Amino acid sequence: MVALARKTLIYEWRRFLPAIVAVGFAGLLQLLQAALVLGIFGSASVYITGSSADLWAGYPGTQSVNLGRPIDTGVEMRLLMDPAVTKVEPFHWVDADWRGPNDTGGVSVFVSGIDARPDSMMFARALPATLRARLNEPDAVIVDRADLGSLGVSVGDTAVINGHRVRVVGVSSGLRALGGVNVVASLATARELDTDPANANRMTYFVAKVNDPDKAEEIAQRLRGSNTFGNYDVWTARDFARRSQFYWMFDTGAGAGVLFLAGIVFLVGAVITSQTLVAAVIGSIREYATLNALGVGVGALRKVVMEQAFWVGALGLIGSAVLGALFFFFARSRSVPVELNPIATVGCLLLGMGLAIVSGLAAMRSLRRADPATLLR
Amino acid sequence: MASQPMPSASISLQARGVSKSFESGRVRSTVLHDLTLDMRASELTLISGPSGCGKSTLLAILSGLQRPDAGQVIALGQDLGLLDIRALERFRLLHTGFVFQGFNLFPALNAVEQVELPLSYLGLSPSEARRRAVDSLEEVGLGTRMELRPSELSGGEKQRVAIARALAKEPELLFADEPTSALDAANGQIIIDILHRIARTHGTTVLCVSHDPRLVGHADRVLAMEDGRILSDRSPPSTTTAVPGLKESSA
Repeated sequence: MVALARKTLIYEWRRFLPAIVAVGFAGLLQLLQAALVLGIFGSASVYITGSSADLWAGYPGTQSVNLGRPIDTGVEMRLLMDPAVTKVEPFHWVDADWRGPNDTGGVSVFVSGIDARPDSMMFARALPATLRARLNEPDAVIVDRADLGSLGVSVGDTAVINGHRVRVVGVSSGLRALGGVNVVASLATARELDTDPANANRMTYFVAKVNDPDKAEEIAQRLRGSNTFGNYDVWTARDFARRSQFYWMFDTGAGAGVLFLAGIVFLVGAVITSQTLVAAVIGSIREYATLNALGVGVGALRKVVMEQAFWVGALGLIGSAVLGALFFFFARSRSVPVELNPIATVGCLLLGMGLAIVSGLAAMRSLRRADPATLLR
Repeated sequence: MASQPMPSASISLQARGVSKSFESGRVRSTVLHDLTLDMRASELTLISGPSGCGKSTLLAILSGLQRPDAGQVIALGQDLGLLDIRALERFRLLHTGFVFQGFNLFPALNAVEQVELPLSYLGLSPSEARRRAVDSLEEVGLGTRMELRPSELSGGEKQRVAIARALAKEPELLFADEPTSALDAANGQIIIDILHRIARTHGTTVLCVSHDPRLVGHADRVLAMEDGRILSDRSPPSTTTAVPGLKESSA
């Protein structure tokens, strides 16, 4: 079989270049957009994904981790009573107001009160052991490197949270928050900072480890049943993280914006690609018509066009993947929150290929002009 | 209009009362008036006439690329009017070859690939397709230029590749539309000689449409057309030695 589609693509690459570039850029934009969305909205659940807990117990109906309401401290006992639960730890969330030493005005901060012991679950993946140990000092807090500017502090400075003096003992990385600034403190410090008297003897979350993480869903189901200690709910870390991300993505309208943009990118890419492919088909229309005169069926000619569309897509997406990887690592090095998982990557690449295929289908229509009778003039 | 019976060869292509007209706006112009003719295998039949006389339309109808308004075309015993589009494509694939005025070669393919391309749709094995392609190119005298792309070939050579492409399918019917009009005299001569030789050696029915008077002497039979009718039907006496017969090709 003569590889007409590929040989034409190579020989007349200039003709196909705009389509390849269009697919490539569409793919790149989708990839970068996905990486930014996952990176930014992923930070909505950094408390969960940065910790090693398998289960989260919190106020029923909590839509996102930053919206937690206090629950009864007795829940800790209830969790520990389950034989599958090996460890339980409190997580104290405080919405607070930060006043730095420099003139930054008030900054809204999220104080995460965590167990500062070396083997604790909260922020096990986000805080190195030495940094965590420093939280044991009285009134010690850790802030993210990226937030130093907006907080107007550097390590060793003191600031005031909810009227209480704190000292910055270290900086973390990768703990940026959405809609505010994360401040990490020990449970004891967080309790000092929580000015709401109603929160005495109550805790925002309890996180737990189970003996078999694969059965986390089952155990969560089991623990959810009782309400001996007032209202609470139990979620697996995975579910709660996803719920937090979806809350930010969709309830804030950002998700709709992203989808809209993805649609626009797809549309523009498809218009450019299909126009280029149509032009390529029209450019060879007499040759196609000759093949049809010689008895090569229209179906076979369509296949040639679709094969060209496929190669245009494949080449464009190779370009997107290479450029995307470069941008990705560049963004990472500048601590821009970008994140990509295999599903999102494959999804973006499939979208790019879909664009090429749709364009190929559009170009296929112009094969109707390959009527051999028109060659007899 | 009438065909002169020639007992030596069998009739391979027939038109029976073929008419065709085109509408442009409100004007309806008849291009072919009730044509009936027979064509025989192993013959090069030339349809000549001024442009607009309907000869290309006749070729399109005889080759199954267009349908007549009335009448029938019987090719190799098959009434083309009874075939649907798929079946017509299949019929063309198996039985007919085409050579056009523009050579219509794919710029990306070299000569041997141009010829192989339609063969691969015939279901031939790659080695068989290659063998046939090489044989055809050698037959048209391009044995040494098989690896060249159209941009590296002269006009005459391109037309010879186009002929090889049609020939490699081993068609019973070969249609050529103005095959020489884009070529100089020497190349035109080569092309018509090749077409003539194909008719003789392969027993192919070669139907050539041209207004080029130089070709008349090379045809076994010349049909002169004007205004959608066949004015004369002659068989020039001896065609092996080229005696230009410009007697009254086109009025």
